[in-house]
Amino acid sequence: MISFELTEEQKLAQSMVQELAANTLRPAARDADDREAMPDSLLSEIWSTGIVQSQASTDSDAASSSATLNAILLEELAVADAAFAIAAAAPIGFLSAIAAQGSSAQKKNLLPLFGGDKYRCAGIAIMEPDFAFDVSSIRTTANKTRDGYRLSGIKGLVPLAGRCSHFLVVARCDGALDAFIVDRNAKGVTVGEKKMNIGLRALETATVSFNDVELSISARLGESAGCDVQRIIDSSRTAISAILTGISRGVMEFVIPYLKERVVHGAPLAQKQVIAFRLADMRIETDAMRWMTWKAASILEHGGDAIKQSQLAYTYNGEQAMWIADEGVQMMGGHGYLRDNPVEMWYRNARSLSVMEGAVGV
Amino acid sequence: MIDFELTEADKKVLAAAHEQALIGRRYAAYYDKHEDELPPEQFPEAKDHPSMVRVAEEGVIGSSGARILHTLVMLEGSWGGMSLQRSRWGLGNTVLETVATPEQIEKWKNYTISIAITEPSAGSDPANIRTTATFDRETDEWVLNGEKIFISQAQSADAAMVFSRFMAPDGTRGMTTFLVEKGTPGFTIGPQLKKLGIRGHDTCNLLFENCRLPEFNHIKGDFKSTMSVFNDSRPMVAATALGVARAALDFTREKLSERGIEIDYRSGARSRSAIADKFLRLEAIHEAALLTVMRSKWLEQQNVPPKVEASIAKAAGGKAARKITQGCIEILGPEALSEEHLLDRCFRDGRIFDIYEGAGEIQRLIIARSILGYTSRDLR
Repeated sequence: MISFELTEEQKLAQSMVQELAANTLRPAARDADDREAMPDSLLSEIWSTGIVQSQASTDSDAASSSATLNAILLEELAVADAAFAIAAAAPIGFLSAIAAQGSSAQKKNLLPLFGGDKYRCAGIAIMEPDFAFDVSSIRTTANKTRDGYRLSGIKGLVPLAGRCSHFLVVARCDGALDAFIVDRNAKGVTVGEKKMNIGLRALETATVSFNDVELSISARLGESAGCDVQRIIDSSRTAISAILTGISRGVMEFVIPYLKERVVHGAPLAQKQVIAFRLADMRIETDAMRWMTWKAASILEHGGDAIKQSQLAYTYNGEQAMWIADEGVQMMGGHGYLRDNPVEMWYRNARSLSVMEGAVGV
Repeated sequence: MIDFELTEADKKVLAAAHEQALIGRRYAAYYDKHEDELPPEQFPEAKDHPSMVRVAEEGVIGSSGARILHTLVMLEGSWGGMSLQRSRWGLGNTVLETVATPEQIEKWKNYTISIAITEPSAGSDPANIRTTATFDRETDEWVLNGEKIFISQAQSADAAMVFSRFMAPDGTRGMTTFLVEKGTPGFTIGPQLKKLGIRGHDTCNLLFENCRLPEFNHIKGDFKSTMSVFNDSRPMVAATALGVARAALDFTREKLSERGIEIDYRSGARSRSAIADKFLRLEAIHEAALLTVMRSKWLEQQNVPPKVEASIAKAAGGKAARKITQGCIEILGPEALSEEHLLDRCFRDGRIFDIYEGAGEIQRLIIARSILGYTSRDLR
């Protein structure tokens, strides 16, 4: 039954995260980007919302039923800055994959580690540092050995890689894609130096190499049953869609006061149709982006086939967020280009996130 | 709880609507070529196919709600291009229902009433109309003079709800509405207008020359109440736009598939062809616009009158129909231009939705004023 109704629980969580985003995260966003590091205090604040730990419930129903709520909350975090949203969405992606597709032993061993009261990270490693990388052309391999698998390959753009205790590595195994749980301290795992990119600079992304890492049979997600890697990708695309919605809303809400204040040729910019109409389009598109995301999340939540909807949302939102951030810079002119204002940062973030795959989840 | 799944009841109604749309599509092709002929009140097949619009409006147990279902049925009908039975409802009926006295409603409730607002120099700016009604004390009648253009249901309606300036005997002036029945002396309906598309859509200009009306025909819809009928109709127009757009997408997907090109939703952007990428992006535009329509209709069902959401839906739907019908021809190439196929009509029909019932620019004015906290004087 078609409905846009938030539950009481969702409304409550939304307003709590909204407050955190506005009062604590937004004021700290620029500094984190400049310092190229995510302050522990902010990770604690994000952790304190409980958004990540709720994925760590060993009751699989509870974990798989929060995709829509996560989509709602990731948008709110991203209104402050996308890096914060990803700091939550990275471990959420890892945990929701374990909760939805892990064997009971994997759930029992891993999920409780994330139920504590301190920020803890684990990441999904899908992207590889190749030009024109695509999820359909993953080169990392897991070859069967007598006792398990031997993992070889390089993964790039892993958020907060240095803080991750585990990676869920997507690799080619017997011609098909499979996912493997790898302890960051396993022999052959090297977490590279943090690598600076155009955007999301607070995220401390790094390259992680897997050099003939020996894995036991129990490292394979789902163990003998295996897993559906596509579902991990769908969840990631949905999370990225939610964060792109938040970036777009952040830009739109930020430029409005400036446009109403700044007088050009005798009238505020906002009173000129060429500006006002672009603002209207921003509003149209952020609305549409949100519903596209909610629909994908809701299908995931109900266990349906979300391949198409998550792809449509990811593609649509990527295009719109880039357009909105681009126009946000343009509307503020020289001020938009200065690092005194956050729109140039969001412009960089929108470009970064919309080409990423698989680092996050709902 | 947030949910986007159609119910079994929704699916049943929509399947029936789709079956009718397949029949309607044949008639749509005919009237596209015979624009001077008015489609009959109902086609022969209508007797075995009850109107799904009526079924949806009356409410279906287990559906997603009457407003949402009605909208989806309209989309389906528009996919075909012509419904099997002509709608008995016009926007003039909405004005009658909202502002008329019980006696007036009683008299005209079974009429189909078109709405006549647009004039040669007043379209998006209806406050600029020049049609005027003056009161003749001698006969106690209103005398209406003016010209209305682009009027839908012009010939098929039983009466027109005419938006006009008035000058009352006591000297007061303003905007109001009059109901003018077909056949009233001084009321002339022009020939069918020659249009780019929607050629089966009854559209004419109306002329009022010393058209005399009793006070009883004065419906007293003011500017605000007359314009507010568009709040309900905007998402509906968007749904109609999306019906045409989906017809184009369905046709394109089918033809691509016949050429061995399937759309792969699993892979990323860097491993699909330009054609598949283009199609996928058009499909996303459709889905995004449709969700804004659903959102607006859902708000109506929650008794939250949508305003900005209705405009968002209309703007998104109108733009989607343009982009999608243009894009599908680009995807399929020169053969898609032929009148033997479907896209030629979709391309022409699909262009109207961002123009009529409030052009895309007007929707953007409404949205921008709302988010900026501006009045219509602040942002013109």
